[in-house]
Order: sequence, then structure tokens, then C-alpha cells
Amino acid sequence: MSNKMLGIVNLEPANVHVEGIDDYRPISATSFLGRYRVLDFMISNMTNSHIDEIEIYIKNRPRSTIEHILGTNYNVNSKKGKFSILYGEIQGNNELYNTDIANFKANIEYIEQSSANYVVVAPSHFVYIQDFNEMLAYHEKMGGDITVMYQSVNNAKEAFAQCDLLELGADKRIVAMSKNNGKYKNRDVSLECYIMSRNLFIELIQKATMTSSLFWLSDVVADSLSDLKVVGFPHRGYISCINSLKAFYDANLELMDRLNDLVSDNWPIYTKTNDTQPTLYKEGAKVSGSLIGNGCEIEGTVINSVIGRNVVIKSGVVVENSVIMPSTLVNKGVHIQNAVIDKYAIISHIKELKGTPDEPIYVKRRDRI
Amino acid sequence: MVAMILAGGRGTRLFDLTKKVAKPAVHFGGKYRIIDFPLSNCANSNITTVGVLVQYESVLLNSYIARDHIWGLDIDGGGVYCLPPREKDVTGLGLYQGTADAITQNLDFLDQEDAEYVLILSGDHIYKMNYEKMLKAHIEKGADATIAVLEVPMREASRFGIMNTDESDRIVEFEEKPAHPKSNLASMGIYIFTYKTLRRYLKEDEKKKDSNHDFGKDIIPSYLNDGLNLQAYRFKGYWKDVGTIDSLWEANMDLISNKNALDLSDPSWKIYTGDNNAVPQIIGPNAKINVAYITQGCVVNGEVSHSVLFTGSHVDKDAKVSDSVIMNGAKIGQGAVLNRCVVMDDVKVPPHMKLGSKTSKNILLVTKALVSKKAEVRDHE
Repeated sequence: MSNKMLGIVNLEPANVHVEGIDDYRPISATSFLGRYRVLDFMISNMTNSHIDEIEIYIKNRPRSTIEHILGTNYNVNSKKGKFSILYGEIQGNNELYNTDIANFKANIEYIEQSSANYVVVAPSHFVYIQDFNEMLAYHEKMGGDITVMYQSVNNAKEAFAQCDLLELGADKRIVAMSKNNGKYKNRDVSLECYIMSRNLFIELIQKATMTSSLFWLSDVVADSLSDLKVVGFPHRGYISCINSLKAFYDANLELMDRLNDLVSDNWPIYTKTNDTQPTLYKEGAKVSGSLIGNGCEIEGTVINSVIGRNVVIKSGVVVENSVIMPSTLVNKGVHIQNAVIDKYAIISHIKELKGTPDEPIYVKRRDRI
Repeated sequence: MVAMILAGGRGTRLFDLTKKVAKPAVHFGGKYRIIDFPLSNCANSNITTVGVLVQYESVLLNSYIARDHIWGLDIDGGGVYCLPPREKDVTGLGLYQGTADAITQNLDFLDQEDAEYVLILSGDHIYKMNYEKMLKAHIEKGADATIAVLEVPMREASRFGIMNTDESDRIVEFEEKPAHPKSNLASMGIYIFTYKTLRRYLKEDEKKKDSNHDFGKDIIPSYLNDGLNLQAYRFKGYWKDVGTIDSLWEANMDLISNKNALDLSDPSWKIYTGDNNAVPQIIGPNAKINVAYITQGCVVNGEVSHSVLFTGSHVDKDAKVSDSVIMNGAKIGQGAVLNRCVVMDDVKVPPHMKLGSKTSKNILLVTKALVSKKAEVRDHE
């Protein structure tokens, strides 16, 4: 049997709410780390694992995602490879019924048509580096029906609200799954990434549909623990679950220092090129401990921040511990601390924007303040 | 209109920079290659078919220009054609003998493309120009050839090919590097020819034994002799021939000067270049940056002042880089001090090495050989 995998980039579950940002686009299509979109990490994981057939599911507001995927070369053979952006039309307007299962069901023929033996399903609001071939080898070695990626974390309470917590037996078999109500710090958290045979995946979609129209994939997996052998695969290394504005903010600032450890020539993160010129640091610029995209013009001070493409930072400005998304203008004398500034914003009149590390302030897309 | 870019020259005055790659493929301005400028200008001027005449060390250049989607030159009926000298049925294999000969050897290509006008460009100039406007002027004036000219300061005019014109900008005389220039209109090496006429002149030139087969030395003088209509097209804006280490350095420094006449930030006239998957630039906690042009993949932990850093270059802790150009992937070791240098691609400057000087007249080209020789001397001391 060949080891061909169909990659499914899943939509974010209902517990993901990134205040402000997701009014405009799903978190997966949001500008990230000065250059990327969040979902570039998951898609690059797949293409770097030589998966060349990828389905990307989106709930609604598809414009950003479509534009980005169309413009990006994820290093897949342009003839043999295949990218599809899929969404369910019927349930698109009803948040309650807009589950991943409903979306798979609506597009079942594209899953049935695939010639892959396996599927790897992973949601795009998680950021980590993983070779899925390693996970598939583990899946085959353990002989389970479903392999679920998890990580043992010590911040389950703060960072993984409403995620699935796993109870693992000695043989790594998952014996119970429960929603994280934020009681405990040290837990094994599901990264909601599954490998199973494509046939079983189709069966699970049918089973879920018959059981409840509110079921998500994680619910039907939890429901099958006694009938099927469901095994945990431990992930090691950096993870971030971008399920809130704070998580988005933290992931930007944390990854700034770790990016060069995670990304290499062997494991690049692909994204769309914008043909922006390099960044110009002008007289008076003071920049330290920051990640800067191309095309910026900097005259002010930037400390410990992530600055997106084509951002203009005028003289007398101080930006500290903040995330500034592309094409934003920060005019003379503005002080910004612990903030997330969305795209195309112009900040001139409000001279002080101060959030806290726990509650970063958010400035809306195209806001003029 | 079909564009033909002359990209075969070695560029010997760039020394080691062009030892392994042709001059048009040399990196420039942080993330570009020199040839991105004429190619992007073509794309932005709605020219869809571009021939690139290659000869010297062209493996990298060939594979680069073959990716015509980079510049959006991949639409149906167009494309970037790589045209090396090739063996032919009757004439056999011959290298390009001169700029005109390179076009003569590709007349079949121009015939096949059904060219009405031919735009001749050079692969080693940095500028932004709308060739569509130049073609419009060429047609309006009923010219046989139009030559783009730049007004240069009179005292520098003797370094250029100078066009002497009448009051309507019709060219009456051409002088190559005249000792006593009569005008300050310098040829930019950009020509538009009406193809039918050009074809005839090239065919005649091919037969002449004493010809240099060069546009400036042979074809333009023949046109003038025969009283054809040659027009000067005045260009205003930034233009630079980057044929020497000093001029290459200067053109990079122009990008960080207050004037910055080239302005690569104009969204309506982007310069396109091959993308890479480098991460955004990482500016370390102790970095100090005072006037610099820095691109993706760079990691700065030291001091950078009045310098341009190319893709993937690193400046380590306590290193001081001033008035320098650090090319792709070069690494400046901890505590190294650089003044007025151009550091070649992938050179690793060892920690604490001092290179170049604030007061030197010329710019120092830092090569792998130079660095290892200096390191050896230092070890002996």
C-alpha cells in the first residue's frame, strides 16, 4: 500500500475567537510574523512532507484565503499537485451548524475522488513545525485506526481553553477525551491533527452526520474511543494555538526569537510574494529586538515588536511590545505599547495607545484614529 | 515591439563579482539582480516578448530569466527568450562579435516574432523607464531610430557617447567620448529601431569586413551618413551604469540617500525579482541601525550605518559595518569592522577583522580570497 496522504487543512473550531481580527477574515488568513499568513505554517508542513494534494476548508469570508492561496507557490508540482479551497454553501450562514463535518459532507465527492490511502487533517489555527511522514510512520508502527497529535503542556489552563484534553494509557492508546474547562495546568492537549485511512475518514463523516448535526470531527473521534484504536502521537517543540487575540499577540512575539530555529532551508515556510522593496531605516531610527517585514520606512523607535510589510513609522514614534500588521501608518509622536494594529490603519491623533501584555489593545483594520 | 536585452558582456571592471556570473545577474539593492530592472521596465511598459542575448558565464542567468513568470512576462504569445550564440545551418557556430552582430545573429528570431519595432536595451543599467512612451515619440516623429539620452553635467560629458542634435532633437552627429563635447546629451544605450530598416542595415553590416559590428561604432554612424531620421528621446530621472565596483557601490548608496531618486517603493512601477523563502529581517536586541536598506533573511546584531544589506546577510554582535554593501548570504563576524566595502556573496568575514577604510578613495571588494589571505597574515603575526 502506498503512503500517499491527502492533506486537509481544517477550519477553526467554534472555540476560536480572535477578537476584532476575525470580523474581517478567519484567523488562518491573518497576516502573521511580518510576512506570512497563519495558515502558511500548516500548508508548508504538508508540502514539506511531500503531500501534493491539499484541501483547504473555510467557514466563511473566503476572500483573503482565496487571494492568498492563489498567489502563493507552496512548492508543489504544478501539474501533479492539487490545491482546492472548499466550503459548504448551505450551512455557511448558520454558525451553529457550520461544523467541519458539515463542510466535509458537502464536499465528500472530492474526498472520495482522491487516490490517497491516508488523510492527515490539521486545523490552520495551530502553529508548529511537523513532518507528517514521521507521524504516518508512527501511525503504522502503532497499528492504530486513528492517530491524534498531542503535546504535554504546562499552560493548558491559559493557552488551550476548550481544546480537547487526552487521557492516555500506557500503550499511548487514548482512553478518554474531554473539553478543557481550564481547571488544570499540566495536561496532554490534542492538537486536533489526525491521521487515518481515507476510508475510515469517510466512514466517520457518515457516522457523525447520523449521530448529530452539531458534531465536529473531534466529537466523533471522542465517540469512537471504545470501537476504534485511537493512539496519541507526541509532538515536540514549539506550538501555539491561536484561539484569542492574546494568543495571536503572544505567538507573534514568541516566534520572533525562535523563527530561525524553526525555519530552515530544509523546512521553509512558503508565502505569497508581494515584490516589496527592502526596508529603509532612516536617520533617527532605533530598532532593537524586532522582526521587520520588507517595504517599511522607519524613522522612529521600535522595540521588541513585529512589524508587517509596508509599515511607515515616523519620527518620534515609539512602538514597544506590539504587533503591527501590513500597510499601517504611525504618524509623528505616537506611542504604542502592547497593541495589535490591524492592516491599513492610520494612527495620527491618538498619541498614546497602551494595552497590557495580558490584554493587548486592538486597532481595527482601516481605522483612522 | 520586441525588446532585446544585451546581456552577454563579462563586465571585467567588476573583477571577482563577475568571475562566475554574468554582470546582469549580479545582485543589487538588497533583493534584486541588475537584469530585474530592464525586465521589469519591459513588463511595466506592456512589452510581452523579450529576447535576452547571453554569452559570458550564462548558466545562472539563463535559468533565472527562464522563470518569466517572475516579471509577469509569461502571458500567451509572449515570454522571455534566452538567446545564446548557437550553431546555424549556413554560418555554423560563431560567438557574438559585437552588439550589432548579436542582433544580426537573431534576425530569424525577430522575423519569427513579426517585430515591427525593436527595442535594444543593455543588461547592466539601473533605472526605471516607460518604453511605451519612447515608442510613441518614435512613431510620432517618424523616426528610423530613436536613442534615449540623458542630460549629464558638461564636465562629465566626455565619459559618454554624446548626441549632437538640432533644435527639434533630431540627431545630427554622434561622438563617442569626445574630448571637447558640443552637447551634454549622453546616450543611455537604449535604442528603438524600425525593424525593416534595421534589418537591412544589419545585413549590410554583416558583410563589411572592417566593421566592429557595434551599434555605436557602426550602425548609428551608417544611419547618420545616409541621412536617416534619428531622434533623441530625452529621459529625466535616475539612471546609472553599474560597470565598476565604485559605481555599483554608489548606486546602492543612492538607495539610502535623502534624494533616493530611484524610489523602489512606487507601487505603480514595481521592480520584480525572483522570490526566496527567507524569513523577515531579524533585528537583535543590541543592534544599532543608522540609515540602512535591509531586506528579508538578514540578521543584525551589530552596528550598521549607511549600508545596504542583501538577502540572508548577517552582521554579528559588536561588528561595525559602515558605508558598505553586504551581498547575499555574506556573514560579518563578531567585532569585525568594515568601512567602504562591497562584500561578495557568501563571504564569511572572520571575527574582529578590519577591512576597508573611512578615507580610502576607492571601494574595497571583499572576496573569499582576500579574507583568507588576510586571516593567514594575521595568524602569522
